[in-house]
Amino acid sequence: MAIRGTGIVKGLKVTLRTLGAKKVTMKYPDVPITMPDRFRGVQYFEPDKCIVCNQCARICPTDCITLTGKPNPDPEKKGKVIDTFDLNFEICILCDLCTEVCPTEAIVMTNNFELAAYSRDDLFKDRDWLYENNRNIREDNNNIGAPQRGGAK
Amino acid sequence: MIRTEELLLNVGPQHPSTHGVFRIIVKLDGEIITEATPVMGYLHRGTEKLAENLNFTQIIPYTDRMDYVSAMTNNYVLVHAVEKMMGLEVPERAEFLRLIVMELQRVASHMVWWGTYLLDIGALSPFLYAFSDRERILQLFNELCGARLTYNYMRVGGVKWDAPEGWIDRVKQFVRDMKTKLLEYDDLASGNEILLSRIKGVGTYDAQTAIDYGLSGANLRSTGVKWDLRKNEPYSLYSRFEFDVPVGKNGDCYDRYLVRMEEMRQSLRILEQALEQFPEGGETMGKVPRVIRPPVGEIYVRIESPRGEIGCYIVSKGKAEPFRLKFRRPSFVNLQILPKLLVGESMTNLVTILGGIDIVLGEVDC
Amino acid sequence: MQKFWNDPVTWGHAGLYLLGAIAVLAVVIVFVTYAIYFERKVIGWMQYRRGPNRTGPLGLLQTVADVAKLLMKEDTIPAKADKALFILAPVLAFVPSFLVLAIIPYGLNLQFADLNVGFLYYVALSGITTIAIVLGGWSSNNKYALLGGMRSAAQMISYEVPLVMSVVGIAMMTESLNLREIVIYQEGWFWHWNFLPQIVGFAVFVVAAISELNRTPFDLPEAESELVAGYHVEYSGFRFAFFMLTEYIYVYAIACLATILFLGGWNAPAPQLDFIPGLVWFALKFACIVFFLFWIRATLPRLRIDQLMGLAWKVLLPLAILNIFLTAVGIEWWGKGGG
Repeated sequence: MAIRGTGIVKGLKVTLRTLGAKKVTMKYPDVPITMPDRFRGVQYFEPDKCIVCNQCARICPTDCITLTGKPNPDPEKKGKVIDTFDLNFEICILCDLCTEVCPTEAIVMTNNFELAAYSRDDLFKDRDWLYENNRNIREDNNNIGAPQRGGAK
Repeated sequence: MIRTEELLLNVGPQHPSTHGVFRIIVKLDGEIITEATPVMGYLHRGTEKLAENLNFTQIIPYTDRMDYVSAMTNNYVLVHAVEKMMGLEVPERAEFLRLIVMELQRVASHMVWWGTYLLDIGALSPFLYAFSDRERILQLFNELCGARLTYNYMRVGGVKWDAPEGWIDRVKQFVRDMKTKLLEYDDLASGNEILLSRIKGVGTYDAQTAIDYGLSGANLRSTGVKWDLRKNEPYSLYSRFEFDVPVGKNGDCYDRYLVRMEEMRQSLRILEQALEQFPEGGETMGKVPRVIRPPVGEIYVRIESPRGEIGCYIVSKGKAEPFRLKFRRPSFVNLQILPKLLVGESMTNLVTILGGIDIVLGEVDC
Repeated sequence: MQKFWNDPVTWGHAGLYLLGAIAVLAVVIVFVTYAIYFERKVIGWMQYRRGPNRTGPLGLLQTVADVAKLLMKEDTIPAKADKALFILAPVLAFVPSFLVLAIIPYGLNLQFADLNVGFLYYVALSGITTIAIVLGGWSSNNKYALLGGMRSAAQMISYEVPLVMSVVGIAMMTESLNLREIVIYQEGWFWHWNFLPQIVGFAVFVVAAISELNRTPFDLPEAESELVAGYHVEYSGFRFAFFMLTEYIYVYAIACLATILFLGGWNAPAPQLDFIPGLVWFALKFACIVFFLFWIRATLPRLRIDQLMGLAWKVLLPLAILNIFLTAVGIEWWGKGGG
């Protein structure tokens, strides 16, 4: 085994140069990270916009959304309004498909990514929680590209 | 006579160098392996079975989670198969975006391999060097599609997002920086005598064995077989760009190392050309029927993922869900040669050889 | 301390020795605490990171917190382990590592024991730690630990030979194994230091010493990526802390030894610089060696066990013997006195 040592010296030079280089780590918990606008975090849900079309529940690959509607309390208007809207965040994979199919943008993504919880029960997000999750809402939801928009199976 | 006995050693599934939850039961004579039995399936999620109850758009997020180091190519193989089956046209801009993200992904994936491989061999720094640069790619992906690992970016007929403002320029900048970074990688590790003595002549097999075992990707090319699906069966827009297919000679871990390092360079070359030719405007989504129902029949489509040939086999009965979906996962196929390679090697070489094959357990177990 | 040697033992003297030992222990523990901190910082900087910076100002209390954590951990002994040996091993590893510090001269009159076989004493005692490591690996009743222990035994025995041989040249030039006399011999300009006339010996010594310390690129006994943690895989809490402590005390000892044997100990590089106290020079040279060890660790991959053995017996040992021969020729032709 011949050890010439030139490669080792080169490597040592690289590490020595890096010693004074600018560091790349972020001071994360002290300095919060802002995610780009398209980032997919936990959803925001606006009950007033929902038309109970059930598409989000149907497109969800993991079946994490369950919703029920009730007849519109205003007898003048037709259609339903949302009654309960539950999102089981334990199994949500943040795939973005629910916001993609939503015709009224009632459910949209936010940029909130700090999702750790002490209890599994905390991960069961209901209608009120999702409505209150109204910070950092994604601006561009691009649900134009949805191939199955409005389509019944 | 001293009584000697073989040592039955259980490596994994919680061993640091099995790259996840992989387990090998080795019989040791001293430190020499006399028999190795791989055990896999700790990460099995039944993707293929689950897919039978999902429509094609819903399967895309599942492919993200197969080879989580290279989710973009997985996305592509599925949507490409469906498009081919239905005879869909994909707009040029979308195809360009797909190609750019796939090549970026190849660079990122090889970086993960490079860092973890050297970590296996005992060098601490390359891992962090590679990850700090990979971070830039992930950041680019995050800006593009809103996720860092499980992108769910491609759709049947196009891509979900157009490139945001200035994104193409940022990728160009990254490609420029990365070229000098690769030189630094070479300085740091590629010429290191200890590394060379560790990987030269280790885990050697010839071209015929590699073909017999169905190896693909760098594992096959290291033996000198010039087989790259981007060249041999061009898909996407690869026929438009100039690039070389690096091949090795001896089929040992060192050649695999060199092939992968060169592949990163070639990917950057493709990226340079693709970014130059990137169309000004255009759609990112083609004309797609409301419900994706491939016609009755079957199709097999294969592309070159960073780990080798990834294939997607779909049997359709004309419904929105596939009747049967099968992925040919390169990690799984490449892993089959492991027991053969390990016999007669030492414990130390086990790590070198396993790392050299470059597996991702999410893909092995699927 | 030397002056008490010939006096009868009294309670007073015993007490003084005890106080001295506690003082050294305190110095060593402070060193180990901050060597670990420094190591993590240096390696962090070399990897575009900042290193520990959360615990205490600038992360200075990081190691303290780590040790506190280790002390509070549950003391686990595997059910099938050999209990007595399992408990004995960390103690047996630590005691010799501390004992070897007795012979290190930090200054002309700053030394505990002025032994005329100083270097041999170091080698003899540090060998006991090897036994402790094998013992720890064996008694854990764990296959990884056993492999680590056996590797360690093979490695340390192999490398002790070139380590000792590399110093023979110095012993021939100085005509002494007494560490104090070796330093006194190197007085004057920095080219009187042993590392220049003994350049081959110095190279062999450095390589063998890194190997003796089980540090990268020779950290096979605890090769994380192969043997998980090697011989101390079953140890936790305080016992594990003792193995760690031992390892870093040896870093301290070897760095001191290299300073003394090859870099002129407390001597200034030029006689004009004598106004700076010797202890400062000693500390500077010492720090350079410790930094070098960390720098190596941040850069190099690990050797394989057969290559490691090959390196010891086929490269280092012949080189060391050649060095002895060359030294003998040099002494014969030019006489002593640094050539």
